[in-house]
Amino acid sequence: MAEILQYVHKDTFLHQLHPYTKIAFIIIVSVMCIIATDPAFLALMGVTMLAIAASGKLLAESLHQLKLIIVMSVVFIAITVITMPNGETLGHVVPQAVPFIGGLIPITTGGLMIGIVLTLRFIVLIFAFQLFLISTQPRDLVHAMEKAGFPIDYVLMFIIALRFIPTLQIEGQRIHEAQLARGYNPGTGFVGKIRSVAPIVIPLVSNALLRSNVLGLTIDMRGYRTGKRTHVRERVFMKRDYAVFAVLAVAGCGFVALVLKGILV
Amino acid sequence: MIELKNVSYTYPHTVQPALHRISLSLEKGRCIMITGPSGAGKTSLCLAASGILHHEYGGKMEGEVIVDNKNVSVYKTLSDLARNVGVVFDDAEAQMIFTTVEEEILSALEHRGLSAEEIEKRLAEIMKITYLNELKDRSPHNLSGGQKQRVALAATLALGNDILLLDEPTSELDEHATVRIAGILAGLKAQGKTLLLIEHKYSQFREMVDTLVVMENGTVTAKGKPEDLLRDERIRGMVLPDFSTFRKAAPAPVTAEPVITVNNLSHSYGTIEALHDVNLMIRKGEFVAIVGENGSGKTTLVKHFNRLLSPSGGDVIVNGRNVKECSIADLARDVGLVFQNPDHMFFADTVRDEIAYGVKNLAIQDAGAVIDAALKDAGLTESAGLYPRWLSRGERQRLAIACVVAMQPGIIVLDEPTTGLDGYEARDVIMMLRNLQEKGHTIIIITHNRDIARHCADRVITMENGRIISDTGGA
Repeated sequence: MAEILQYVHKDTFLHQLHPYTKIAFIIIVSVMCIIATDPAFLALMGVTMLAIAASGKLLAESLHQLKLIIVMSVVFIAITVITMPNGETLGHVVPQAVPFIGGLIPITTGGLMIGIVLTLRFIVLIFAFQLFLISTQPRDLVHAMEKAGFPIDYVLMFIIALRFIPTLQIEGQRIHEAQLARGYNPGTGFVGKIRSVAPIVIPLVSNALLRSNVLGLTIDMRGYRTGKRTHVRERVFMKRDYAVFAVLAVAGCGFVALVLKGILV
Repeated sequence: MIELKNVSYTYPHTVQPALHRISLSLEKGRCIMITGPSGAGKTSLCLAASGILHHEYGGKMEGEVIVDNKNVSVYKTLSDLARNVGVVFDDAEAQMIFTTVEEEILSALEHRGLSAEEIEKRLAEIMKITYLNELKDRSPHNLSGGQKQRVALAATLALGNDILLLDEPTSELDEHATVRIAGILAGLKAQGKTLLLIEHKYSQFREMVDTLVVMENGTVTAKGKPEDLLRDERIRGMVLPDFSTFRKAAPAPVTAEPVITVNNLSHSYGTIEALHDVNLMIRKGEFVAIVGENGSGKTTLVKHFNRLLSPSGGDVIVNGRNVKECSIADLARDVGLVFQNPDHMFFADTVRDEIAYGVKNLAIQDAGAVIDAALKDAGLTESAGLYPRWLSRGERQRLAIACVVAMQPGIIVLDEPTTGLDGYEARDVIMMLRNLQEKGHTIIIITHNRDIARHCADRVITMENGRIISDTGGA
């Protein structure tokens, strides 16, 4: 089963970086890809993300999201083509030969371009965030967020939300199987679809609530919320972190210069 | 170390007390094992003794709970209490917050005000006694049930308290994993830890238990040295159930027609081969037990019988039809599958509606009478109007079986139907299955309990690493 957004334990350069360094990386990448509108540049950023993933031996994990990305791309491009006609018309979704409705929904260069740019932006963001989450040990993330001044309850909430994704996935799968064995029939039509959700969602939510009770008690009993902590194996800023910061600074400055010259936007 | 003086407790918004006048004393270095039917209040007792009821639940508490010479109300917070009492809850998964084993234990150690060197030393020590070293980088969803229980125990040990309360730490484990947990606990006791253990499996823990406590209906009905209590036949039946009386005089005739035929079945999850070239024939009216350790392929095999899984290679023939040509809904009429955790299926508002769900899905005739009969067979007629999740574990297990029985499949497959049940409840379930067999159903159970397999089934199939390694009924 694909493990969505779960930390993958490996010992690579990427894993050894300080969480702050990775957060800085995410911020720079996000700002760059939101400002840039040049598809070639955005595509290059996407490829760079994959190259970084490969350097952290996380390429396979990154590509897990490919299916989601393809579906998302198709939806984005379809929406922009339909809702934002602009520029030259390349053709029509409904061929002009069709009587009465022929020539509806023109496919325009402008619409297509906006769709492609939006899609590429999302792809870069998804890859960057995923890379951050799967290469950073939750403990390090907790320490970093705590140091940055986030209240510990929120930090724990964030960590737990991520941690239980696969648990819920597996549990949902089991419930689905149990109901299939009872002749569960995913309904048809709108009302049918809504009704057919109950046999899966009710057990899933009831079990999750029970589990959250034990989880809450565990957190209290282990003293995670008291905030008094001995710092062990804390990540400290190393030469590699400064090096990455330098690279980010150069990339950032270069980007700003290009944007000011009117390139990339 | 822990003392309960005449403790009664009623949960908020309920009328019936969950605990009634309980007095119990746990001395330093001793081990108390609490046993009894599901729903007797064992978990409530564990929550009371750890001060959790007092600090977290509200409700009505009478009597006194003393932990380490102080009343629990003297402790300001649960975290303060946790410095004295460690609790391992039954749901191991919910006690893992981080994504690797080592992280989990290290994080628990960090909050104790120890020096960094001391933390590393304790970490190494705990990993060693719980045998977690080779698993240190694994994530929770890549651990087996027994491994998860060891992590939950290790993280609790990290808190360094002398008193440990464990709520059914082995309920879903096979024999091998249970023995391992028992060994770890015996080691802790030898180190001087004080243990309160809620368990059904007395036989694996008998060496270390000093006092046996039997709970029924929220109160302690027997308490004393195990060897004294076990002279009482009723208590013996509860903690050391004897299944040998189930043996039928004559085994099922081997001439009956085959209902399931498995030919050269293989199944792979990705690159892992879970089943390898399995051949098997099960005849109508047989009672078959499938045994083997966790991960040996038992559940994978039975999921092929109603096509929840499709073969990677080979064929499965059910009632003369190749499952490849049938839909899951079609096969639900022939094969009923009861999963290990009954809570994976309940969603209706009443017990009756829960049973009606499957009956309606298959459009079975005369539904009312069918449901009534299923309720009666499961001994749940009186509970028909209750919310399924309010039932005890034993009742929920019988309800899960009733839900499947009401769909009238000829073949009924059950995955670990006696998990979390005491001796009498387990017997009730087996009795129910025996009756179904007499009515002509074919019964297939997956079980860790060798006594049940040996004495209740006509035929025992043993699996190991995705293969059948022995079959007492080899047809």
